[in-house]
Amino acid sequence: KKLILVFLYCLSGHPTLPCNVLKFKSTTIMLDCALDTTSVLNYLPLPLVHSPRLSKLPGWISKDGTINLEKELKECAGRLFVDSQPEFCLPEKELLDLSTIDVILISNYHCMMALPYITEHTGFTGTVYATEPTLQIGRLLMEELVKFMERVPKAQSATCWKNKEIQRMLPGPLKDAVEVWTWKRCYSMQEVNSALSKVQLVGYSQKVELFGAVQISPLSSGYSLGSSNWIIQSHHEKVSYVSGSSLLTTHPQPMDQSSLKNSDVLILTGLTQMPTANPDGMLGEFCSNLAMTIRAGGNVLVPCYSSGVIYDLLECLYQFIDSANLGTTPFYFISPVANSSLEFSQIFAEWLCHNKQTKVYLPEPPFPHAELIQTNKLKHYPSIHGDFSSDFKQPCVVFTGHPSLRFGDVVHFMELWGKSNLNTIIFTEPDFSYLDALAPYQPLAMKCVYCPIDTRLNFHQVSKLLKEVQPLHVVCPDQYTQPPPSQSHRSDLMLELQPPPMPYRRCSVLNLPFRRCYERVYILPELANSLVPSELKPGVSVANVSAILHSKDNKHTLQVTPAPPSKKRKRVVEEPPVGGAPKPLLSGAVPLEPFLATLQKHGITEVKVEETTDGHILHLQAEDTLIQLEEDGTHIVCDNNEPLRTTIRDLVLRFLQKL
Amino acid sequence: MEGECFTLLPRVCAVLAAGSSLPDDTSLEKLLDWFSELTTAGVSLVKDCPCLLEFTSTVVNSATSDPCILSFTLKLVGLLASSEDGFIVLQESSVLDLVFNPGHWEKAGHWEDPCVRIGWIQGLRSLLQHTKALCFFVQAGKQCKWRPHESEEHLQHGLIEPLLQLQTDTSLFVASAASQILAHILIFYQPSPSLTHNSMEKNEAADKSTNPSTTDDGRCPFKAETDQSFTTVVMLISEHLKNSLVSGGDAKLHHAQQSLRLLVLLLTRLRPPLRDSLLHAVTDALEELLMTDLTPPLMDVILAAHSSSSSDVRIHRLVSSLLSTKKPTDLLHAAAAFLRRGLHDDVHTAQCARAILLPLHIVTGQLFLDMDPADEDLCSMAAQLQNKSSCISIICTCLTNSPLITVLDPSFLPCSLDVIISSILLMLRLCSGDTLSVSSGCSGAVRNVIGSSKVKKCALEALMSVSSSPGAKAEVIKVFTLLLKYLDDPDSDPTVFHKSYQVLVRWISVCRDPSSIPDQLKQDLLGVVRKRVCDVRWEVRDSTVEFLGRLAAVKVHHTTDTEAQSACEVLPGGSSSITPVLEEALLDPESYVRASAISALAQTQAPGWQQGAALTQERSEFVVRLLDVLSEDTEGFPRRAVVQYFISWFSSSASRSSLLRRSVRSVLSRGSADLDWEVKVHTLELAKLLLDEALSAHSSSTKELGAQCVHPYAVIPQPVYTPHTHTENGEEDTAALLETLVEEGVVSVLLSGLVDCDRPVALKACRLLIVLREALCPPSHTDLGTDRETVAKVSFLLPKSGWALEIIKILKTKNKAEEENAATLRSSNCIDELKLGEGYNKGWDGVSGAGCERMSVCELLSNLGLDERVKILNQSSDHVQNSPLSLLQDILSAGGAHTQPNTQLMQEVIVDCY
Repeated sequence: KKLILVFLYCLSGHPTLPCNVLKFKSTTIMLDCALDTTSVLNYLPLPLVHSPRLSKLPGWISKDGTINLEKELKECAGRLFVDSQPEFCLPEKELLDLSTIDVILISNYHCMMALPYITEHTGFTGTVYATEPTLQIGRLLMEELVKFMERVPKAQSATCWKNKEIQRMLPGPLKDAVEVWTWKRCYSMQEVNSALSKVQLVGYSQKVELFGAVQISPLSSGYSLGSSNWIIQSHHEKVSYVSGSSLLTTHPQPMDQSSLKNSDVLILTGLTQMPTANPDGMLGEFCSNLAMTIRAGGNVLVPCYSSGVIYDLLECLYQFIDSANLGTTPFYFISPVANSSLEFSQIFAEWLCHNKQTKVYLPEPPFPHAELIQTNKLKHYPSIHGDFSSDFKQPCVVFTGHPSLRFGDVVHFMELWGKSNLNTIIFTEPDFSYLDALAPYQPLAMKCVYCPIDTRLNFHQVSKLLKEVQPLHVVCPDQYTQPPPSQSHRSDLMLELQPPPMPYRRCSVLNLPFRRCYERVYILPELANSLVPSELKPGVSVANVSAILHSKDNKHTLQVTPAPPSKKRKRVVEEPPVGGAPKPLLSGAVPLEPFLATLQKHGITEVKVEETTDGHILHLQAEDTLIQLEEDGTHIVCDNNEPLRTTIRDLVLRFLQKL
Repeated sequence: MEGECFTLLPRVCAVLAAGSSLPDDTSLEKLLDWFSELTTAGVSLVKDCPCLLEFTSTVVNSATSDPCILSFTLKLVGLLASSEDGFIVLQESSVLDLVFNPGHWEKAGHWEDPCVRIGWIQGLRSLLQHTKALCFFVQAGKQCKWRPHESEEHLQHGLIEPLLQLQTDTSLFVASAASQILAHILIFYQPSPSLTHNSMEKNEAADKSTNPSTTDDGRCPFKAETDQSFTTVVMLISEHLKNSLVSGGDAKLHHAQQSLRLLVLLLTRLRPPLRDSLLHAVTDALEELLMTDLTPPLMDVILAAHSSSSSDVRIHRLVSSLLSTKKPTDLLHAAAAFLRRGLHDDVHTAQCARAILLPLHIVTGQLFLDMDPADEDLCSMAAQLQNKSSCISIICTCLTNSPLITVLDPSFLPCSLDVIISSILLMLRLCSGDTLSVSSGCSGAVRNVIGSSKVKKCALEALMSVSSSPGAKAEVIKVFTLLLKYLDDPDSDPTVFHKSYQVLVRWISVCRDPSSIPDQLKQDLLGVVRKRVCDVRWEVRDSTVEFLGRLAAVKVHHTTDTEAQSACEVLPGGSSSITPVLEEALLDPESYVRASAISALAQTQAPGWQQGAALTQERSEFVVRLLDVLSEDTEGFPRRAVVQYFISWFSSSASRSSLLRRSVRSVLSRGSADLDWEVKVHTLELAKLLLDEALSAHSSSTKELGAQCVHPYAVIPQPVYTPHTHTENGEEDTAALLETLVEEGVVSVLLSGLVDCDRPVALKACRLLIVLREALCPPSHTDLGTDRETVAKVSFLLPKSGWALEIIKILKTKNKAEEENAATLRSSNCIDELKLGEGYNKGWDGVSGAGCERMSVCELLSNLGLDERVKILNQSSDHVQNSPLSLLQDILSAGGAHTQPNTQLMQEVIVDCY
């Protein structure tokens, strides 16, 4: 029996972009490796073609004229933006030595975007575990990100503004940006390939042993193609990692809830970022705004990721197009990875929900966007250059990235359509504040509609889930333990659990509470055969075991002690300990009243009995001796009177049973 | 048919008495219904159907009768004895004593069966229709021992005691029937007020009592000989109620509950002296019961007592105790019931208003009730509101009943009306998750209502009903803002959208001055409407389109002296901004939406029609589009809406444009050929309008404009149509009119409708054809010489295909029948006379080829047998299957099959089935 210490190091403060490290039973496991891209909102957009508007923005000079950052910072509609290649906020690197990480578990393709920064620059030598769709779509998203950045290279790299003294003097939100010195430019394709070469593929419910100490297993989380929650367990302890899960019936396989039962600790991240926006309602809103704009002769721009919700949007539109008389309206999907994304989604049949899986056997493409492409209603292009420019017809609907509106083809459409109030931009990705995203495009005439579609668990669903799976302890980001700041009265938008969840923030180190602290030890059959159990009480038998404990790869085995060497042989250098005849074991309890009576018979009369939490203390006043009678031990404290101690010991032994 | 039935009845009785199987388990009930109908119609069953008497005595004396047959017999005996004559016959044959002696049934071992007990009760209920029956009811026990093991003293009050015992029967049906009959006895035999109060009335009543057995209100007149019996019954029932209204174990509670239900029946129907004495007997018991769990049924009793004797101090005290209950939900329901009944008094009305508003006070945190935070009622209600399910139900009860408060005299109100309106608004805000304005003390309750569609709907309903209360106008802007938020909320349930639109229309009509609404709100409303007609859910699109139609129909006045204006003006651009939205909705894939769009467009265009505005090019194109919908739309709803559109246009337009005339003709021909019977009925409605127009013109010309009181398009009473005058000019007019109706296609529509396979279509067409015939065609037997000929010459071209063949078939059949009946009549046959073609002369056998037949309209109408046809069509389609004759035949055949089973036949049937 030994006490197990389990630590959780929290390297990201963003609740839906998690990066935590779990130290559990001599393994160091990184749970997700998400990249906080919200930092790019502080940068100017990267236009695909020269933008006179952006190039004419005034530079920033402090009011007293002492600081001149004209080249680095530009002012637009009353806000400051960094004119440089956008940079990302990385997970915390200083909290622990990242080279000691044994494995990285990825829960979905949105939570692996920081992988190259960890695997390529920290001395990481371990393995990354992810499902196949996570790897493939993650690769697409990384590739897209790299292409967006590399397509519009900016020689300039702004660093002066990061100077603490200078940053302090800047207006918000630049002033309040945290950890700006750790922000990094985007990685290269080479780094992506190297990072992804370390990924080992796993399937749902597949059990992977880590050093014999723990077993990890991914479970379907229902959020996106191949998205998973993880079970990390030893023989006696179980940690569940729930990240980005959904109970809604969308395209992925449904969430596996039952396997999360009986967890000692459940680490809960990736709940919906929009607890008050119901995805169904938002999807409806998306469709009606889209139809309304097209009917009025305007264009619709949907800034989105090239995988994920877009599949559901296209499916919804597939049904809606005819009912809204949009049959002649062209739908364009523009992304360097558009083709791959649409095709990949059709081939991961085993990772899809039941309905879509059955379609594969018909055989039919699981997603209806195949039909949209076939009928020319949906067209996809790698970029606005090339074929697109010749096919382009208005009014139309364009799906393109990046949802931050700072890079990607979307920047072009913002410049193109922003001036007309007939056009509408519909935000569907919940990761970025739409007002911040639009800030460098102000003043803007086009209509803006915010329909964030976040299918991840909401507070109501998570409360129900936790009631069902009943973990002993829940660990979650600090943000989930109080209502959102903008809706401080909404007590329904927080986790209320008993016992209360353990909150964490960026850089927190939590000692996870484990009640059980046992280790599994195997007994070899020969040794087991030699045991002679004797029944202590009905159903409980005990036996003495003399053996050698052999520990290897975190597995412990009791082996038979070799026979004592014959006298004739030479002493071996490493002689195993010789087990002498075992002393008899005692069991039973010492009943207070009969014991006092026995003491009295032996002339010990002055006994003061004191009740303690564990038993009793008998103070033999005349003899100045203490007898502690406890549930699991008896102590006789008797100074310099060995005969008395022996007598008392013998009296105690009378009440106990020898095994 | 009745005679035929009576012939079959003896055999039916024999089958029933033999215990043969029945066609189905409702046969006996149907048979009883028929007997009841006969009795009500004045047939004396005892005299006309002696076999029934024989049947009853056979069954009653048989030891092996089936309980169902027994039950039927008990009910039948009651029915036979419901008339005094029948009663005497049955009593003389001593069947009555035997049948209503429970001891007899107990001895025979049948009393345990609830269907026998209920038969006994219902038999008694039928029997107790005259004074002799009451005497029998009270005396019966004295003459026969109904329970041999019971002592004499228990038998001294006739059948009342077993009846009272049945009131607590284990079968709920029996118990309920017993309560009903107890109530019937007291209500039916209670002394008429005329005899006790007013001497004038007393004389009138005395006059009446000499003739019929009941008074005008269907109750038994009070007669001296029943006095004693009735007093005994009253005494026993009062005593029974008093003793049963006690708390205790489950059995006692059940008993008390039954008695409370009976009391409610009695208190609402009894008249003062009897009601007061009954109340007096039970008041103490009711007071004691208030301490138990019986509040809901008790509440009905107390409130019923209060409504009848509000001045009684003891009743007043009971109401006070009821409204002091410590159970929040009971208090709320009691207060609501009190106000719903329209009861008002100085003390309790205000108390009820507070009780109803209490949940609103707590949840909204508005604290408008001026209550101590430690108040016991407040605390217990707040505790109840913490629980989700009870919270929703309490809030809904509170909101549903809050309109009751707004109509009260302001002196009863604990706060001003505008506070109540703003609390309802606040509740609606809370439901949509806006919790910023709420104090923290009730967060648990607030949490329960967030997102609840049920609460939202109740609150919207409440908001709608308070729109007419004084002070509502001041809240219009707030209401608008909130409703716009609701309509913009993507998570709202479609039913909430629908309700929100309804409330908005109501408040717009309250507002009266659309210019007082800020432009931004108007703009927002238009934006929301444009968005919602594109909604994914068809229900929302439909509600939106429907809203636009209603908006167009609502009239608002800027000021009292200005002309009414359509509420569409509340939208920027008025009706011109909504027409494109509605026209777009015509292409909606959901047929309901297309139909609503057509109706809404009719409403938006109605003002133009009324003012006789000139038709624009777009409007003409739109009419063509609608006609296309009528011929091409695959769903019935839009097609029905199109016909209704033209009905509205035709009936409200000030002038008959050529487009309207042309379109109506087109609608008539397309609508009558539709597959949907409702489209056809609507088309006939349109035909009726044309007919009305023509006939009213005709009647006004023939009556020299004497019918100015008749609205040109109102349904004109039948007599106006009759051709009173037959002047030469009048006849020419009539002929011209008929000619027009033929040309417009009205006659053709009516004739095709007549032979339609859907009964409602055929019925309507038949009625209209009769109207046409009565109004324009002179009866053939009148000798009107040339006049008649002028009208009769108006002919109609009957095609030799489709429905026309059916018409020809009718004519042929009728003609054949006439030929057979009287050869002399052939000379007067219209077709002969008018020499309408060779077809007829060949006996119509050759009528199948192409071409048309020209026929005289009037002769055609008089030869179609419209009067017989309308009689047949008036009967429901299952009248043959449901006739008593069919029932009797069924019983006989089922009995026959049972008694003489043809195993081989049955075997064949079974084999066939499989």
